[in-house]
Amino acid sequence: MRIPDEERALAEAARAGAESAFADLVRLHQRRAYLVARAIVTVHEDAEDAVQDGFVRAWQSMERFDPSQSFGAWVNRIVANAALDITRRRKVRTTEELSDALRSPFRDPALDAELKTRLSHALAQLPERARSVIVLHDVEGFTHVEIGEMLGIPGGTARSDLHHARQKLRALLQDLRG
Amino acid sequence: MADELKFPGNGAGRDNDALDESLASMIRDVYEPPGGGEYWAGLESRIMSRVNSRVAADTPWWNVLAPWARPALAAAAAIFAIAGLVNQQLGEVDDQVAYDSVVQSVTPDVLATSEELMSVQRGADGATLSYFLSH
Repeated sequence: MRIPDEERALAEAARAGAESAFADLVRLHQRRAYLVARAIVTVHEDAEDAVQDGFVRAWQSMERFDPSQSFGAWVNRIVANAALDITRRRKVRTTEELSDALRSPFRDPALDAELKTRLSHALAQLPERARSVIVLHDVEGFTHVEIGEMLGIPGGTARSDLHHARQKLRALLQDLRG
Repeated sequence: MADELKFPGNGAGRDNDALDESLASMIRDVYEPPGGGEYWAGLESRIMSRVNSRVAADTPWWNVLAPWARPALAAAAAIFAIAGLVNQQLGEVDDQVAYDSVVQSVTPDVLATSEELMSVQRGADGATLSYFLSH
């Protein structure tokens, strides 16, 4: 993957300790990092925590970052790890609580509320990894290999998880799609 | 440069089995954070605030004093030089005062003492002579 010169320059400056360059990198990548985190933790507040933790960890590890690589891919892996840490700490959360959280007020009021609610329920019923894989692949466009790196699983496992996750989500959404 | 430009759209990773684009779009909306640029500006601000506090926490306390090292060294050198000069001046004055006090006060005393000794000596010699003459 070709790394844009601007991003490479920013990453090198951030490696040298320039906080302003790191702030520019945050501005460029926080949106996608948030979506990665949200695919894993599903709850807005947890996703935001994961993004913040991930970027702080990235800043602390900048000297280990290779500027010839994509900063976005690197930071997304870190954010995904932070999100997985949060899910491990909060395993006690029940499906019902997740569904409630998915109905949090951070929604576009123009969308059909009932459809969104049912979709949220369907997503909440998916196993955690299945939900992450399907959102990261079919919604965010990451490859199986990238998803495998983020979630700490082989790319082939991500591919098979995706297949099963799609089947399950389609089954859950039969009424919705009809 | 938006990160959307660097990552291919959903088409790159899509296959025949992929979810409908409309469904993917709906999921994206469900997972959308509170909207607007203000949210992202706020999130960036919170992230950088944590980064800055981390930088401050990781900075050793003596690094805070580092900018003052050169002025402090210059000030210390100046104070040392001035103290040396003052000490030297005071030392010379003290030496002179001590010398003067020794020379001016001791000499008359020494002379007086010598005269007293001589008179005493003379007195002693006279007494001895008188003793011999009377016996």
